[in-house]
Amino acid sequence: MTAGTSPLDPPPPDPSSLVRLTGITKTFPGVIACRDVDLDVRRGEIHALLGENGAGKSTLMNILTGIYQPDAGDIWVDGRRRHFAAPVDAMGAGIGMVHQHFKLVQSFTVAENIHLGWERTPGRIRARDLAARTLELAHTVGLAVRPDARIDELSTGEQQRVEILRVLARRARVLILDEPTAVLSPLEAEELFKTLKRFVAQGNAVILISHKLGEVLGSADRITVLRGGLKISTTRAADSTAKALARLMVGHDIVRNALRVRGPSAARVASTPVLELRDVAVCDATGRPRLDRISVKLHGGEILGVAGVTGNGQKELSQALTGMLPVSAGNILLGGVDFTHRNAREFADFGVGHIPEDRLHSGLAPALSIIDNAALREYARAPLSRRGWYRPAQARALAESIAAAAEVRIADFDMPAANLSGGNQQRLVARREMRIATRVLIAAYPSRGLDVGAIDTTMRCLAQLRDAGVGVLLISEDLEELLTTCDRIAVMCRGALMGVADPESASIEEIGLLMAGQHATTTALPDLRG
Amino acid sequence: MTYRFQRSATPPGSRVIAARGIAVVLALLTAGAVLRLTGAAPVALAREVITDTFGSSFALQDLALLVSPLILTGLSVSVALRVGAWNIGAEGQFNAGAVAATGVGLYVPGPPLVVLGLMLVAGIGGGILWVAGPALARAYAGVSELISTLLLNFVAGLLVYWLATGPWLEPSGRAIGTTARIVPEIPALWDEVHWGLAAAVIIAVSVSMLLTFTRWGYEIRLCGSNLQAAHYAGMPVRRHLITVMLLSGAIAGTAGMFEVAGTVHHLQGGISNNFGYLGIMVAVLARRSMLGVLAGALFMAVLLNSGIILSTRGVDVSTVLAVTGLVLLYTAIGDEIAHYRFVRAPEPAAARINEMSST
Repeated sequence: MTAGTSPLDPPPPDPSSLVRLTGITKTFPGVIACRDVDLDVRRGEIHALLGENGAGKSTLMNILTGIYQPDAGDIWVDGRRRHFAAPVDAMGAGIGMVHQHFKLVQSFTVAENIHLGWERTPGRIRARDLAARTLELAHTVGLAVRPDARIDELSTGEQQRVEILRVLARRARVLILDEPTAVLSPLEAEELFKTLKRFVAQGNAVILISHKLGEVLGSADRITVLRGGLKISTTRAADSTAKALARLMVGHDIVRNALRVRGPSAARVASTPVLELRDVAVCDATGRPRLDRISVKLHGGEILGVAGVTGNGQKELSQALTGMLPVSAGNILLGGVDFTHRNAREFADFGVGHIPEDRLHSGLAPALSIIDNAALREYARAPLSRRGWYRPAQARALAESIAAAAEVRIADFDMPAANLSGGNQQRLVARREMRIATRVLIAAYPSRGLDVGAIDTTMRCLAQLRDAGVGVLLISEDLEELLTTCDRIAVMCRGALMGVADPESASIEEIGLLMAGQHATTTALPDLRG
Repeated sequence: MTYRFQRSATPPGSRVIAARGIAVVLALLTAGAVLRLTGAAPVALAREVITDTFGSSFALQDLALLVSPLILTGLSVSVALRVGAWNIGAEGQFNAGAVAATGVGLYVPGPPLVVLGLMLVAGIGGGILWVAGPALARAYAGVSELISTLLLNFVAGLLVYWLATGPWLEPSGRAIGTTARIVPEIPALWDEVHWGLAAAVIIAVSVSMLLTFTRWGYEIRLCGSNLQAAHYAGMPVRRHLITVMLLSGAIAGTAGMFEVAGTVHHLQGGISNNFGYLGIMVAVLARRSMLGVLAGALFMAVLLNSGIILSTRGVDVSTVLAVTGLVLLYTAIGDEIAHYRFVRAPEPAAARINEMSST
């Protein structure tokens, strides 16, 4: 390198550049999350950050917002080098982030949340003043909110608006959004992008973290792809195609296996349902319906998909189907026997496996050893148990065989399950559940947190179970995944089943409409009870 | 080259033990410095404490008499923690067990061995009765057991004072504030030390085995670690919470029975000697391990005994408490520091590129 242009010198001033990251490197124990990443965000642009789980998107943004400090590299704002020791420093420089999981106080009002932890909040606060200030802010920014509504009364879309307003009120010029549309219906998402366009039109910038190609191509000006902690490319959205981006993200062409095609030895779809729901309803503690009279049949040897925006009753459905959540009305039948009031143990003993959506909270005991976690389903069965005794040596053998089948290499089986990466936790839970799923498998978002290769393996496993005659219910937010894997796709919205689509003929647009709560029109969908 | 601290979620056991060793030494040095400031001679005092604690068979017996109730109260708190409940009420359950055992010992006629057996049953029952309310309230109404068990301690403590100075006061009137001597007594193991010590060790080992090698124990560990996961696996979460809390009370009640039938032979005010509260410290020191309770109890007993010796040497009681507090504080800090390692940070990417380009 020639003298005078050391990488430590400031980059040449570029008037259009608002935020610039140079040479960012960040390592965690055993993992390089980001390696030598450059990113340039200009005034007036929506800049998408695209990458798979674990590509380094979140780490990079956590560095930009002062949550992490980089091991190497610099942050430049308006051409000046900045050091952010804490999120409040980044906010002071005009960089704010709306996280995927909102950081709002549920029992506070919108106005209180907006003013929480803000140095411009008046010392003496009165509800009326806060509400008036909030309305004024909302008006200047152009976001409609109800200042005196409590957060827990709001829909997720409204909560997101509050989060955005909270950040914009603090004079943010760079707004970072982490997977903002994951919790939104298509209509709400459209509304959000209009707001973002207005925001950048005033000379600000938006960084949009996403892994949805279509959305990124439709809304962003430029797209940066990260893979394995490295920056792969930055391109103009107008010059990109979904296929090219996917290849950049994954590193090779995606070949979607047509898993719906069965081999000659595969079990046929059973004529009688193994699992049947008759008008099942579930209400939460406040009496609000979470599941609204759902009737559906699952047959052995088929994969039934459940599509829908996350939070529309999928969690309640999976819990009701595994005996974890008492139903307030209707019946659940397993193999023709009424299981409505049985507990989770009895469901598992019947042969119902359950890959839960929040593996860390309900599928695992993070503080206990990997061995204890592997034994969770089989500790009461031979050979782990004999006459009331629990045999740790047998549990260890089980843990080793689960890890081997899941292709997870584990150095120490006595270490807490919390020490495993999210992806490995997911693989182990999935394997553990497949072992006991002799009749039914309820799989909620089984590919969450996995890389493409592992997703492929997991989906193959589901197909194997199907071919062995197991009825599989696959809950997912990824329509592609559902369309390539499932025999039928049920669509949920606000706790109700909107319809069942045939993946052969249904288009993504049709399913999208059902997800948004619009009932199927005259094109009669196949009978749910059929 | 830069260095920084790195946190690991699970420190190796050797590191924890080393950190604790250093913590104890530092605490004693600090205490020595404080004593020095108050005008005492710390080195001479320390020598006296060591000889008076370990130097004679009498001294060791005193220590042993402190160890057995601490094992049981520590175990009581520890086992409740295993199911995720904070039993702050071992003190109250200890007193309740002592009261129930005394009632039987004083007023139930029969051969001493039979009465002794009944006293044990009564002691266990007393402990269970005292924890039953908080256990049920927690299981069915979500009432914090931390508060309810704590408050019942005061009730039990006052109950002991009232009985010992009122209805059950020694009839001859020669003694003040104590009951008559309870005739049935736990046989001696070694002079003053009764079989309660051996029983306490056996109970601790049994509970440890139960938790490690039974299906029930597995379920308890899971319930205590993650209620949601226990629910997911279909375990009877509420039943386990109740039974383990009752077991916790039973163990504390047993300690109370041992104290009246083995060591004190009377019921008198303050008989619990704060063993219930010290049990919380024992459980914290033991870090969720039932066998760790044995070591923790021994450590607490040494501290307690040293305190007694120091106060006979004219050291103020609050100074003794301060030393105890220092040891525990330093230990807690040591436990936290054991999580950290000093590692060399990777070199900045830019510097690396510079090096590469300069060669």
